[in-house]
Amino acid sequence: MKRRDILLSLCAVALLLYGARHSHGNLQLAYIGPGAGFAFLGSFLTLLTSLVLSVVSLLAWPFRMLWLLVRSKQGYRKARVKKLIFLGLDGFDPGLAERFMAEGKLPNLSRLKEQGSYTKLRTTFPSLSPVAWSTFATGVNPAKHNIFDFLNRDLKTYVPELASSKVRPPHRILKLGKWRIPLSRPSVEMRRKSEPFWKILGRHSIGCTVLRLPISFPPDEFNGRQLSAMSTPDLRGTQGSFSHFSTHVETGHVEGGSRYPLRRAADCLEGDLEGPENAFVEGSGAMHIPFRILHAEDPERASLELQGESYPLRPGEYTPWVRLRFHGGVGVSVHGIARFLLTQTVPEVSLYCTPIQIDPESPALPISQPAYYAIYLSKLLGTYATLGMAEDTWALNEGAIDDDAFLQQAELIKCERESMFLNALQHTRRGVVACVFDTTDRVQHMFYRRLDAGDGRVIEALYRDMDRLVGETTKYVDDHTALFVLSDHGFCSFKRGVNLNSWLHQNGYLALLDGARESGDYFEGIDWSRTRAYTFGLGGMYLNLKGREAKGTVDPKDAAALRKELIAKLTNLRDEETGKVGIRNVYASGALYQGPYLSAAPDFIVGYAAGYRTSWEAAVGKVTARVFEDNKKAWSGDHCVDPLLVPGVLFSNRKVQAEDPGIEDMAPTALDLFGIEAPAWMEGKSVFRFA
Amino acid sequence: MKTAVKLNKTLVQRASRISEHAGYSSVEEFIEHIIEKELAHFEDSDSKEEVVKKLKGLGYLE
Repeated sequence: MKRRDILLSLCAVALLLYGARHSHGNLQLAYIGPGAGFAFLGSFLTLLTSLVLSVVSLLAWPFRMLWLLVRSKQGYRKARVKKLIFLGLDGFDPGLAERFMAEGKLPNLSRLKEQGSYTKLRTTFPSLSPVAWSTFATGVNPAKHNIFDFLNRDLKTYVPELASSKVRPPHRILKLGKWRIPLSRPSVEMRRKSEPFWKILGRHSIGCTVLRLPISFPPDEFNGRQLSAMSTPDLRGTQGSFSHFSTHVETGHVEGGSRYPLRRAADCLEGDLEGPENAFVEGSGAMHIPFRILHAEDPERASLELQGESYPLRPGEYTPWVRLRFHGGVGVSVHGIARFLLTQTVPEVSLYCTPIQIDPESPALPISQPAYYAIYLSKLLGTYATLGMAEDTWALNEGAIDDDAFLQQAELIKCERESMFLNALQHTRRGVVACVFDTTDRVQHMFYRRLDAGDGRVIEALYRDMDRLVGETTKYVDDHTALFVLSDHGFCSFKRGVNLNSWLHQNGYLALLDGARESGDYFEGIDWSRTRAYTFGLGGMYLNLKGREAKGTVDPKDAAALRKELIAKLTNLRDEETGKVGIRNVYASGALYQGPYLSAAPDFIVGYAAGYRTSWEAAVGKVTARVFEDNKKAWSGDHCVDPLLVPGVLFSNRKVQAEDPGIEDMAPTALDLFGIEAPAWMEGKSVFRFA
Repeated sequence: MKTAVKLNKTLVQRASRISEHAGYSSVEEFIEHIIEKELAHFEDSDSKEEVVKKLKGLGYLE
């Protein structure tokens, strides 16, 4: 062999080893979001690595099968069931469920209640999905799993950030002129701590399929299958930004989305779809995909032309998922999916585009465990929404879509989820299948206004449909199966917002710079040197504590007295305008929680009365002139109230023996059903009392 | 993704005992928590613009 050939061979081996070490299940990962960089490997290298791994995997297959057979037999040795199903219906309210059952509208749930069990399920403090589902997964209180709200705060800057995960750009980037070549992968950090029960079951070779259970981005590394849900970003790195194109609007930003112009050309309308920032080329801004709308005025012929493909635009009907490929440079692209809806044709033309979501067939970030599971589901069942909170509530709030379009979107997402869930049930002979449906939560958030106005048709149809789903599920239940249908919290009306920052300001606990009466978002204009307490997010309130917050003012020795004072003043706080109590209770978190992450918890959990919630402005750390104000948004139902008011539901095909079950009891119950003792750090108890 | 770090055996034994009492699910979680707390003192925070962009579209927030 010539010397040159030897060198080339060595280089090939080195590249192969590098690829094997840095590829993630043969997927090309990209950091998406502000200041993004794209990590990718050449397709040839990936192909070669895959080939080698396939050969090795094939040779090892008989030994692996034998080992797995032995292990799985041991895992199920003490099992009391063969199969366990958790059907999660986010926000399914016990009050409404009981009413509809009494009216004979939920036959399948009524049957479960009669033949098995039905009870209310205690939720967490606060009664928020990220908190409650994290407790469901781990069987511990929030001070042990570190999720206290949707938001946590940066103690140095006071700026709130997403509590559940953090995406960081690649830490090594090669700069070549204007080019930025990532030499490492972006990192995605899971901030939910402790250990979910499916990891423990996985160690005992008990298979778990966990579909869209909130707070699962990035997915857990464990011996099982998981598809990420809540907090998975869209391709722009946000929690969901829609695009609204119109012939009569200028470019601009609205809550949860952006507006763009549609330009009239000779025989069509033209627009540009904005994608993620191109961090591969410095200063190049966002990547765009141009598109055209043809025959917009003719419902029979209207079509969308994009990247060489044509999609019919039927009035009032979403397009199928459209695959989008954003080019960042030579050989660099990021893949996304979106649906389009023609919302207006005369006299002006408007087109709505869903948030551009991570393409499950080419995921820019890890969204499943194992990495190929997302691809498998897409190939098998068709592509699907991957965004954490996929139903576009802001598009409805902002009028980019109407009620019918929102409901249609929610239905499409639910159907995708149902296909995945039923597929998992069909293919699971033994083990665990857990799946959470968000539709119940999102539709109640957006349509409680109709229930309040005496029109309960949308909500009733929703509950009936979930009952139908329960009926479908029970087809996979036999004597060796345990089924739980549960929710993380209930629901109530949201008519009035409470701005506790404003109350704190008016009562001398929070100060603004230069004597201003209002602040900007995210505490802009707060004088921290004179501030003793503040709030943001949906459930908590914080002291500005010395030694914890960067500009803390409250001496830790004075904290207990201040806590007591604030609790006394805020409990039963009355809404002067309506005469009603807006805050029922204020709980000191030290009395609620115990665990190693307690210092990250809010100092108080605020128990709003039914009909009240933290105001939209207070949730983003803003001080306004008024403490109480009307909620005028379509988002008209909520559960961010006193957790005692919004328990969830627990239905089972078996007799639940616990008298007052809580969501923390579900993880130890899962272990118990497979004969595995719950670890000492787990606080919940099995809802069954096996002899 | 995990990686191995060599630590003093006695230290890990001590950490093991404490982690259980403190409510951690494992000694690894305990050690990671301590490292995270220390790193927070040294690492830069995200800019407000970056944070606001990441939170955009979260239904519960305006």
